Amino acid sequence: MTPVLLGLIGLALALPVPALLARASWPFRSPAAGVVLWQSLALAAVLAISGAALSTALWLVTHDRLTWWRVALHLTILAIGVLVWARFWWAAWHVWHETATRRRRHRELVDLLGEPHGALPAVRILAEQTPVAYCIPRRRDARVVISRGTVEALDDASLQAVLEHERAHVRIRHDLVLEAFGVLHRAFPRPLRTDAPLRQSQVLVELMADDAARKVTGDGPLARAIVALAGGVTPAGALGAGSAAQVRLDRLCDDTPHRWWPAALSLTISAVVLVAPTVLLAVPWMLHAWHTLTT
Amino acid sequence: MPRLGELERSVMNVLWDAAAPLTVREVLDALGERDLAYTTIMTVLDRLGGKEMVRRERDGRAFRYAPALTRDAATSELLHAALDEAGADRTAALVHFARTVDPAEAQALRAALDEIESRTSQ
Repeated sequence: MTPVLLGLIGLALALPVPALLARASWPFRSPAAGVVLWQSLALAAVLAISGAALSTALWLVTHDRLTWWRVALHLTILAIGVLVWARFWWAAWHVWHETATRRRRHRELVDLLGEPHGALPAVRILAEQTPVAYCIPRRRDARVVISRGTVEALDDASLQAVLEHERAHVRIRHDLVLEAFGVLHRAFPRPLRTDAPLRQSQVLVELMADDAARKVTGDGPLARAIVALAGGVTPAGALGAGSAAQVRLDRLCDDTPHRWWPAALSLTISAVVLVAPTVLLAVPWMLHAWHTLTT
Repeated sequence: MPRLGELERSVMNVLWDAAAPLTVREVLDALGERDLAYTTIMTVLDRLGGKEMVRRERDGRAFRYAPALTRDAATSELLHAALDEAGADRTAALVHFARTVDPAEAQALRAALDEIESRTSQ
């Protein structure tokens, strides 16, 4: 019974639950708790599916009479498990390496072509009219890149909001959150994969940086910066529905008082999804062990 | 080392502005009045070579240095990487402040902005 239940939980956490959660707007109200929630869902799905495979494999060989097909099936399941794990770590290494290489190259180009900002050592200004603003994360020596076009498009307060936003990304190591979801996204077997965790965590991370910026500059300058930088460029290609910019502005518009329940709900769901599969797996096993010891 | 980084930028600009590959001495002269050591420039050129920004070619007993890519090519590589927003499968090497939106969305954003501005100006 345990393997089936764990398998169902794993499937639910991998597909329908993320799809439903991606449509909800309440996690945006407490972005840090939202990131925890998405991380927990992903981890719980991995644990549940691994648990389902493992408990099936063990169930096959803990029977009283060992037959050849039980042993063969047991070994097959274990082999598949090892393969899935190997694939996961290979993907993790690959994503990490590729991202690091692209960042290093980009940073070298920025350092050669960008003008250093007098007062802020991490900031580089590109002599381009296209308004861009982004950061190249790194543990030490991160870069915040803006263009002349950005400086001209924004008033002083809005520019400060942009810089505070980017510095928050760098300071709170948001790249690690995004990299973790990037790894999961690639490592998950394709039929079980959805875009939701990666997309949603990208938005949540923006909201966290927004919160850091609005503490310094207030809502107005940040909102002006988002609109100026999101609307200034012609779209390069087809873009997914529900842009982060809209979510961010809606959040700045929302002047209802800060509520505790979205954070509490996110954290509660996180705890439940993480604990439930473990309990389901552990409790029958402990009972089984107890039973074997006492008889 | 901010100073070395700054020097790399100056040396690169010298090479980009030059019509032909330069020797270390020529780079040093082009940098002008600063009291820089010959070996410092060699170190900087080595570092730039390691980053695949500079090519080294033998000319008799000396080496001459040339940019591995033109300033325009470097700029377009940088902008291409910075503006390439396609591909949801790629991980975010760069974290953008804002992504481009379509015109309808831009209008919705402006409306929301007006609301925020009117509230904060009260």
